[in-house]
Amino acid sequence: MSGDVSRRDVLRGVAGLHLAGILGPFDRVLGFVTPGMRAEFGGGASTATTAADAAASPDAIAQDAGAALSQWVTVGADGVVAITVHKGDLGQGVRTGLAMIVAEELDADWSSVTVVQAPADGAYGNQGVGGSGSTTGSYTMLRNVGAAARLMLVETAAARWGIPAARCRTERGIVRSDDGREATYAALAVDAAKRTPPAADAVQLKNPSAFTLIGQPRPRVDNADVVTGRAQYALDPQRPGTRYAVISKSPFVGGRLRSFDDAAARAVPGVIDVVNLGSGVAVVGEHTWAALKGRAALDIEWDDRGNAALSTDSIMAAKAAALPEPAALDAPGARIVTSTLDLPFLAHATMEPMTCMAEVAGDRVTVWVGTQSPDSARRAAAQAAGVAEANATVHVMLMGGGFGRRGGTEWVREAVTLSKRLGAPIKLLYPRDEDMRTDNFRPASHHRLRGAVDGMGKIIAWQHHVASGGSGNGPNSGLAGQARPNYTVAGIDAQGFGVADPVSVGAWRSVSSSQLNPANEVLMDMLAAAAGQDPLAFRLANLTNNRLRGVLQLAAEKADWGRSLPPRHGRGIAACAGWGSYVAQVCELEVLGDGRVKVHRVVAAVDCGQAVNPLSVQAQIQGASVDGLSTALGAGITIDGGRVQERTFTDYVWFRMADTPSIEVHVVTGKSSSPGGIGEVGYPAMPAAVMNAVYAATGVRVTRLPIQPGDLVAAGAPTAEPTRSSTAVPTMAPTTAPTEVPPTAPPTAAPPRPTDGPDGTTSTVFLPFGGTGRP
Amino acid sequence: MARHVFQVNGQPREVDAPDDMPLLWVLRDLIGLTGTKFGCGEGGCGACTVLVDGAAAQSCQVSVADVHGSDVTTIEGLSVTGDHPLQRSWMAEDVPQCGYCQAGQIMGAAALLAKSPRPSDADIDAAMAGHVCRCGTYVRIRAAIHRAAEEVRS
Repeated sequence: MSGDVSRRDVLRGVAGLHLAGILGPFDRVLGFVTPGMRAEFGGGASTATTAADAAASPDAIAQDAGAALSQWVTVGADGVVAITVHKGDLGQGVRTGLAMIVAEELDADWSSVTVVQAPADGAYGNQGVGGSGSTTGSYTMLRNVGAAARLMLVETAAARWGIPAARCRTERGIVRSDDGREATYAALAVDAAKRTPPAADAVQLKNPSAFTLIGQPRPRVDNADVVTGRAQYALDPQRPGTRYAVISKSPFVGGRLRSFDDAAARAVPGVIDVVNLGSGVAVVGEHTWAALKGRAALDIEWDDRGNAALSTDSIMAAKAAALPEPAALDAPGARIVTSTLDLPFLAHATMEPMTCMAEVAGDRVTVWVGTQSPDSARRAAAQAAGVAEANATVHVMLMGGGFGRRGGTEWVREAVTLSKRLGAPIKLLYPRDEDMRTDNFRPASHHRLRGAVDGMGKIIAWQHHVASGGSGNGPNSGLAGQARPNYTVAGIDAQGFGVADPVSVGAWRSVSSSQLNPANEVLMDMLAAAAGQDPLAFRLANLTNNRLRGVLQLAAEKADWGRSLPPRHGRGIAACAGWGSYVAQVCELEVLGDGRVKVHRVVAAVDCGQAVNPLSVQAQIQGASVDGLSTALGAGITIDGGRVQERTFTDYVWFRMADTPSIEVHVVTGKSSSPGGIGEVGYPAMPAAVMNAVYAATGVRVTRLPIQPGDLVAAGAPTAEPTRSSTAVPTMAPTTAPTEVPPTAPPTAAPPRPTDGPDGTTSTVFLPFGGTGRP
Repeated sequence: MARHVFQVNGQPREVDAPDDMPLLWVLRDLIGLTGTKFGCGEGGCGACTVLVDGAAAQSCQVSVADVHGSDVTTIEGLSVTGDHPLQRSWMAEDVPQCGYCQAGQIMGAAALLAKSPRPSDADIDAAMAGHVCRCGTYVRIRAAIHRAAEEVRS
């Protein structure tokens, strides 16, 4: 290995990131690293071992560069603290946040921490990424990891000095005694590594009030690699003799291969092989371009398996038909509201499509893959290679987005199978159209919403019946549980009806909450209108949870809730509770004369308890808000003729720079000392806030997403004013010149004054990104 | 198959490749510069953006024959030590989430700043229209572009 590697790369080698195989090309990529940087990073370490080796033989490792205090923490002679993170990073920031948790209890100097990515290995416990659980599920365990390593260092110092450990304290990588002696972690680490790790009950965790790192904004540890192109995703490692593969799968939903002629594909210069993998036909080439041209030249006959007539209309009709006719609401004298809502299939459309690099050599298989499920990737790799699982190594690479998609292993099996067959390392890439049409979509759903308020504005009936993918029918089905609202309502009738989807469906950011919460928040808005109440006031009057109350009030206050807007502009509010966290979003938008919607501003408030890294919390809410806007106003998967119609980002339309409004995120510091999940909770309220804002702007209730311009025009949204050109759409927040509320908008009561914050504490608001930058 | 000669990040390169081979795959598969990413392969997402003779180009839409004799800059060559104003501002604003699109975003922004040192929000909207960020980091990208522009001015 050359000395021209960054500090992080050095530590990867030292602590055994199993990345030895990919360090070679770094020499070329990092040819620009200066001598000064080298000195700063203290390069030169060269021991490439496994993490297990490091843990088993600390002395041997210590001679070179570091002492392993546990499988999680290695302290180098240069003071660099390598913290192993056991979860993969798909953009949620766990490589930073989880390391912060360990570093906090370890009292490490954050500037000397480097992060090591664990390979798939049961020794690290649950490595799965999903359910917003990476931080919540690891928090206490990783605090213990840090505290245990700290105790080993303290006891080592105390023994050297002949004093009780109680007379020692730690601070930023140094142990100090009460009589003025001090020793760096680096100086203690080799001896500390020889100690028996303390029992869990011997470890004392910090009082959260003593935190110096948890709760502080810290930029991502991977930023420097990302902005210089060094960051390693699955197809970035270099191995000699690598071949490049792409795949072609059935364009028909549920279809399969009938026959194919690969003569033309094989005639493409650079094509090496064409392989029927069962799951599809793979073309392998000397480079990706040859493989892609070979794929285009394949002559394949697909069996539609009777699905050629399948369409979005037929699928949604089947869902609507699955709902039984509801009983009449027993609500004499009440005002009854009723509506339906259709939500589409959604693709994950990760920026990096499905990819995997695999190398089968003898009785071993090595895989480089971005995965939300390292253990299943390892199993799949071993099975496909026909080797023992112990002989399968899975390097968990950075993921170019996941959102639930990367729990799958099909691409792992395919890459390993190809590598075994060709006797060469394989980089398998799903072309964009393949990635999109073979996705496991967020299920489509049909919601029937009914409710009633009495003459006093009290909710006396709440009915949410939903037909979606999944199993189980009726009030006790899994869907029904989540169809219950966040609010305290009487007369709840929440029922789910599972309708098997003809397309492959799966987990998508926030899973069924992405369907049920928007429907509930629209129904809540309808009831507020029926009661003649302000949507915010109505929500606050019908909830008991103070954290939910807190985010609603804070978002409303920051969004200037209640301030008048120009005609055809509107604000909508909605909230979501889940994963131990609370989010409210206010959307301010304008419905143009042609029915298009221009979003001007989003204000979000989030209470996730103990925010480990507020910068990541804010990023997740910003990103989930963009997802919510995109799926409310642009993106949806449709089926026609048995085929998924969308192919890429130009027809599965996600928000881009010009579409994206100012998105302010206000993070609440509440009383809860434990962290809530943050990856998903920012999505489910956002589409509802959009729909409610459209109603506020036009008086039209949205009945399907994504909103089509024609839907609003057909539903009677006010037409264009002659004074405003619909092409001159302001991208900044509108001016605040007071204007009359349009007559079609719902009655707007003066909003209640927000209190100081949730649970009566003062809410702390920091880093409110204005979003539109500097003038 | 033909021999193509051009510069990448200031260094002369010669590759044997089919004339129609997109620059993206030449960079990634033949030269080993993997900082440039594949997103869609048809010019619809901007993930593969590089500079060709100083102008932003989607490298999946430019063939190796097109760049014959040209000067190509990839994310690896944007600066010698990773301290281009945009690289610094991207870190200061903590822009990346998954990070996959960011090389393309930064190269797009670099082309913008080279020709408009004081871009307005509308300039940014126009220049970045070809880029998708599936994580939704646009707010921070915008802030980072403004920050870099300010730094260059002062």
